[in-house]
Amino acid sequence: MILAQQLLLGLLIGGIYGLAAAGLSLVFGVLKVLNVAHGELIMLGGYGAFWAVALLGIDPFASLLLVLPLSLLLGLALYWALFGFVVRADEETRVKNSLLIGFGLALALHALAVRLWTADERSIITPYGGAVISVGDLSIPVVRLLSLALAFALIGGLHLLLTHWRWGQAIRATADDWQAALLTGIDVRRAYLLAFAIGTGLAGAAGTLVSIGYSISPSIGLEWTLKALIVVVLAGLGSMIGTFVGGLFLGLAEAASAAAFGGPYREVVGLVIFVVVLVLRPRGLFGR
Amino acid sequence: MTRLGKRQLGWAAAILIFLAALALLPLAVGRDDVLNFVFLILLSITLAESWNIVAGYAGQVNLGHAAFFGLGALVARTLWIGGTPIVLAMAAGAGVATALALLIGVAAFRLRGAYFAIGTLALGEISRTTVGNVLSDISTLPTATISAYRLSHRYYLALALAAVSVAAVAALAASRVGLGMQAIREDEDAAAASGVGALGLKLTALALSTGLAGLAGGLFAYYHISYYPSHPFSPHWTFDALLMTFIGGVGTLHGPVLGAVLYVFLKEYLALRWVDFHLLIFGALFIAIVLLLPGGLVQAAERARRLLAR
Amino acid sequence: MLEIRDLVAAYGDVRALSGVTLSVGSGEIVALLGPNGAGKSTLLKSIAGLLRPRAGAIRWEGEDLRSVGAHLIVERGLAMVPEGRRLFGSMTVEENLELGAFAARARPRKRANLDRVYALFPVLSERRRQIVRALSGGQQQMVAVGRALMTNPKLLMLDEPSLGLAPRLVRSILEALVEINRGGVAVFLVEQNVQAALTLAHRGYVLEAGRIVGEGRGADLLRDPHVRRAYLGPLA
Repeated sequence: MILAQQLLLGLLIGGIYGLAAAGLSLVFGVLKVLNVAHGELIMLGGYGAFWAVALLGIDPFASLLLVLPLSLLLGLALYWALFGFVVRADEETRVKNSLLIGFGLALALHALAVRLWTADERSIITPYGGAVISVGDLSIPVVRLLSLALAFALIGGLHLLLTHWRWGQAIRATADDWQAALLTGIDVRRAYLLAFAIGTGLAGAAGTLVSIGYSISPSIGLEWTLKALIVVVLAGLGSMIGTFVGGLFLGLAEAASAAAFGGPYREVVGLVIFVVVLVLRPRGLFGR
Repeated sequence: MTRLGKRQLGWAAAILIFLAALALLPLAVGRDDVLNFVFLILLSITLAESWNIVAGYAGQVNLGHAAFFGLGALVARTLWIGGTPIVLAMAAGAGVATALALLIGVAAFRLRGAYFAIGTLALGEISRTTVGNVLSDISTLPTATISAYRLSHRYYLALALAAVSVAAVAALAASRVGLGMQAIREDEDAAAASGVGALGLKLTALALSTGLAGLAGGLFAYYHISYYPSHPFSPHWTFDALLMTFIGGVGTLHGPVLGAVLYVFLKEYLALRWVDFHLLIFGALFIAIVLLLPGGLVQAAERARRLLAR
Repeated sequence: MLEIRDLVAAYGDVRALSGVTLSVGSGEIVALLGPNGAGKSTLLKSIAGLLRPRAGAIRWEGEDLRSVGAHLIVERGLAMVPEGRRLFGSMTVEENLELGAFAARARPRKRANLDRVYALFPVLSERRRQIVRALSGGQQQMVAVGRALMTNPKLLMLDEPSLGLAPRLVRSILEALVEINRGGVAVFLVEQNVQAALTLAHRGYVLEAGRIVGEGRGADLLRDPHVRRAYLGPLA
């Protein structure tokens, strides 16, 4: 029964993995830019929520309404200041330059977070934090269940945006073939800007959920970048629902391996799956 | 010999003369803090040049470099504490790192571009987490070794290793193998079509690169009195090597050397000047370099020279 | 309508066009012939704004297009069907066509143009929910032409629309072009199938090694000995 409980918790955190990966997948798929500072953006989102709760005294989940738009704005600013220059190069150079800028950004954001919030681990305490729903022998933490539901809702919203909004379709078209997108009259630079801003917004939302149900510290960036990358490689580019499922899968796989080999190895197993998938199926399990 | 080849040779000679001059430093300045500082620069030169071989010459951005640095440190430390002479222990560490790299390389080189980068990043993290789990205790030298500790030994070994890595890259750049690697960097498909054995060349580059990284790891193990075994596996060693190489000029002989010197100076200076903000400033400065000087210091100097010659 | 004068374009140090002059008038069908590597695709890419020419002028209804972004050139009424079709492979037929109407000039006429495309290629109407990657080559070419038509163009440029298609499909694509032209759209056609192209074109140009080496009415070019020898083979 302990195993079932562990798997359940894995599934719950898996939803956040999916959300974390969706933003990275969007940016990588559309701009062909690998933002290794994605985890740091998640970290910033977490602290944003932390601040909103501490200073304004609002409900942690309501802080999303603040963090999400602010993250979108941060995404716009980062694109204008940094990544907008990267996309002018050809694809090979783009990947290298984006790695470099990402490392620089990760370094700076990490230092900034240590300065503003110290290096301590923090998490948001909710008034209903201890509540659990019992189903048989399983106990489901209410906060984490809510987080999963919110993550799913956000992914669903993103899916609708990409399929039904005019610019959403333009973003997908740009991901498929940016030159063809230009030939249909799409301002590709604006599609890049929107995709990057949405990607950053999703990172902020993911960070909020991490800080509520779990914990954040300035140094979690790389870990979350890797989690997101693992999911992106598992799920392939192109489908946000597929990305969400990939996140759930990673959460389950981590829980299963922690049960089998012990807690410290949960990270390793995800990474091993990642490398194996990467080598066997360089375009992802569910990829096209 | 081409003009470019001559210039490369000139740089190699200049760097080696500079390193030879540094050999006199312990005699002139007895201060430990100066020697420790220069040691850090020398270690950084080796690390940056080693990364430069596979990323700069063969064009493969290896983000798992720390794994080989760490492995070199792990093997060398264990053998050395067990009684093996340090040079042999370091060689063994380098050998193990290279062997593992070749094993991994065959699979990893199926990946191209960004996928190679993230695949190797994951491999590095796998090794760090595993070592951290298995060897969680801090590694400290035995008291007898500590009392016999001489900084100058570490210093000269670092100097020799930096010279070896610069000489190795210079020899590689001038060789047919090195030219083949650069052909892969420019266009892998075209290089393969013209009969260049891409996988073989990439593996050669990886072997050389990880061998030097393993030696650098051995040096690290010889230098530090105590550290956590997973520390040399930390991804920041990879990122440091990457930053230094790109600041200086990737795919050139002297770029990583210049980058390493500037990087260490800058980081130490900023740390002294702005204790709290130094990493923030450093990150911002680095981004500025990438955006404003995309080819690093080497290309910036080249451009300045052309402007002056006009 | 479209006037190109002394156009020079290059990839790095390699010259692709060295002084091309030509024009396409309103309502015309103009064919551009030439061997592989003559610079035909380079010319079309320069007009569409995907490539910045080094020198020369591209004038469209009196305006210089050289500093206009590619997506804004579409707004001026120039559409291009690129070589290799370049569809949005992960999307359905209808999504591809709808994206063709992304430009502001095309949006008000989206419904009407969609009907027009389906009338022109009825098979696309049956396949509208299918992912384009699953279509045959000929059907994909129809989507590519249809997507360009959706931009509501005054001039339609096509880069080798018959490449890799069976003769029967080539004929139906080319017939569609005549049909489109009858609706008032000028057509600028790059085509390997010289016989067919010159039969339907009002005028033609011959491009070799980055220069225009011949021009004339379609029927005249078909009788031209150089054109016959170079492009129609000894048996023609």
